[in-house]
Amino acid sequence: MTNTIAFIGLSDVIIGLSLGSRLFLIAVGLSLIFGVLGVLNFAHGAFYMIGAYVALAVTNSLIGNFWLAVVIGATAVGVIGVLIEVSTIRPLYGRLEGDLDQLIVTFGFVLIIHEVIRFIWGSQPYSVDAPAALDFSVSVGGGTFTAYRLFVIGAAFVVMLGLWVFITKTYFGALVRGTSSDREMASILGVDVPRLYTGVFFFGSFLAGLGGALAAPLQSVSPALGDQVIIDAFIIVVIGGLGSLSGAFVGAMFVGMMQALGPQFMAAGHIAIPFLAMVLVLLFRPEGLFGGFGE
Amino acid sequence: MRNGHENNGSRTAPNSLGVDRRTFLKTTAAGAGLATVAGCLGGGDDDGITLGALYITSGFASLYGEEGARGYELAVDEINDNGGIDGEEVTVISRDTESDANTAGRQMRSLIEEESVDGLFGLDSSGVAQALAPQVAQFQIPFMVTHAATPFLTSPEGEHEDSVGNDYVFRNANSLAQDIYGAARTAEELDATEWATIGPDYAFGYETWDYFQAFCEGLGVDAEFTAEQYPGLETGDYSPYISSIMDAEPDGVITPLWGADLTTFLGQAESAGWFDQIDYTLFSVGMGTDLPADGSPLPEGEYASTRYDPFVPDTDENNSFRDRYYDEYETLPTYNAEGAYRAVYLYKEAIESAGSADADDLVETFTGMEHSGPVGDYRFNEETNQATVPSIWGTVSYDDDWESNVLDPVEVYEATPDVVNDALGDSDLPSGV
Repeated sequence: MTNTIAFIGLSDVIIGLSLGSRLFLIAVGLSLIFGVLGVLNFAHGAFYMIGAYVALAVTNSLIGNFWLAVVIGATAVGVIGVLIEVSTIRPLYGRLEGDLDQLIVTFGFVLIIHEVIRFIWGSQPYSVDAPAALDFSVSVGGGTFTAYRLFVIGAAFVVMLGLWVFITKTYFGALVRGTSSDREMASILGVDVPRLYTGVFFFGSFLAGLGGALAAPLQSVSPALGDQVIIDAFIIVVIGGLGSLSGAFVGAMFVGMMQALGPQFMAAGHIAIPFLAMVLVLLFRPEGLFGGFGE
Repeated sequence: MRNGHENNGSRTAPNSLGVDRRTFLKTTAAGAGLATVAGCLGGGDDDGITLGALYITSGFASLYGEEGARGYELAVDEINDNGGIDGEEVTVISRDTESDANTAGRQMRSLIEEESVDGLFGLDSSGVAQALAPQVAQFQIPFMVTHAATPFLTSPEGEHEDSVGNDYVFRNANSLAQDIYGAARTAEELDATEWATIGPDYAFGYETWDYFQAFCEGLGVDAEFTAEQYPGLETGDYSPYISSIMDAEPDGVITPLWGADLTTFLGQAESAGWFDQIDYTLFSVGMGTDLPADGSPLPEGEYASTRYDPFVPDTDENNSFRDRYYDEYETLPTYNAEGAYRAVYLYKEAIESAGSADADDLVETFTGMEHSGPVGDYRFNEETNQATVPSIWGTVSYDDDWESNVLDPVEVYEATPDVVNDALGDSDLPSGV
């Protein structure tokens, strides 16, 4: 152990925040869908991967505009999410053992999406250039970063704030909260629950696509992407509490920080730290560190 | 065009009958022995010479398999156009190891039992090679390893707890020990004392660092070893690891990152200002990734090694191979292509010299054999079955004529058993050379 705590500086914190920001965008959608629909969407990591690949395709196409690629990537994933929800998940809501069926169906989509991606793009990794306006270096805290990395951190905070306002201050947010706490009562009061579910599934999927597209310039885009992030996302929502907005944020930043600071303490093996944290949370606070949805 | 390359993805069913593994292996090995005898007696596959190739042809490291295929296909075409091996046509059947020891083992068994191959070659991953070596000995069939570099593969079994070297496994390319000996010789010449590493989180990453330290100590290089990082394979974002190494402020870094992981790392290291801050980065076998990658990702002025250089030695044999290869594929040959190319020629020479394709005859002929190929003249050490090929390190430079990175200037360090064993000094690590 040649590294010491003296090496932890602002630059490591910034890397941690950028990793956490990317993870937040995927974990919050997973948490939102579970909190409202009760569906544990295994394919959420694959959705994130689709977002990255669509961004790659659009950026490298004639359109060539990264920002448009982000919008198209996120929207495309939202639409794919809706198609999957309406055609394969909705019929399972009423089933007695529906939870397991949903998990298996969404896991099936992980395999399908993975193979489709491999079929179209092959298994080699690609890189996506950061948008020209943010593709310059910034020195902060002794480290050098692309401005784009800092932008992604800002974007995650904006999404967090926007979601909080949306969930707690708007009419639609009230419907979402109400339905998540008592689906039958909401239905009796005239809420079109199936449509609301589809809307939430769209929104959660859209966030996964947004995360994938925004993260594309910060990492290699390969078929392994979905598998890597879904595990982190599950850890985050378990630590933060399934269905908790603030839990997803805190959990994501915690896991991001551990990924950034872990290498300072050990040359390998630090990836186990978030798993250990998850085990501790499951043992001592199984509902997660934060409460229910909208908290 | 017939290129002698068949890609058969069929696999044997996993052993699921509850037979104990040892019994199963014994039975299959005996079966393979019988099949070999049957082949010699005129039964089975006697339509020419059939060789089995095992490379990674899918996934993040598929570029290695693609390069290997180019090499052996060129050799097969040349040989068949010139009368074959002892008048018989040669065919190569390729299987994908998927960088996985179990898959590689299944595919190897299938090549031996179902395709009745006369010999095997290939292997990219050290981990897979170490797992397969004992099975190769049980099947009693020659295996010419062309890429996987762990010294433990040619370190005779018993020399070290991880050693798996045996009579049937040969390696025609330089090993990690030979390559890293050259790295220490390179470090010796540089104005750098504090060294760090960033390598993949498996044997290849750790062995590179262990041998680098051992050779630096053995050669008396004035070096301190300050930081090490081992990100997992297929890491998407290297920034925490890059930051950790940069925080340690080493003068030089040796990195055995390879394949797509190396290209990902390079882009992110560049953005983080790595090459401005760290004086010297040594990319062990970096040219194997640089040549087949899009563009020329290795930064000019840094140091890299290769197991074979298209311009060294400056012999007719090497120059004409390079030119034929370039005509065919419009790119310079990588060491993996050259290793696979040479493996087919090694089989040709051994079969013609022994007058048979019998496995035992081939093994006997390969043992201590002298050979010449694009890489130059070399021989197999009888004690290890490792080829005495040199270590090649140089400065990365872009060559406008070839529109490609090359090593210029380039240093060729003789890496014979005496030299490498001496350089390891008092270390407990086996040279495998």
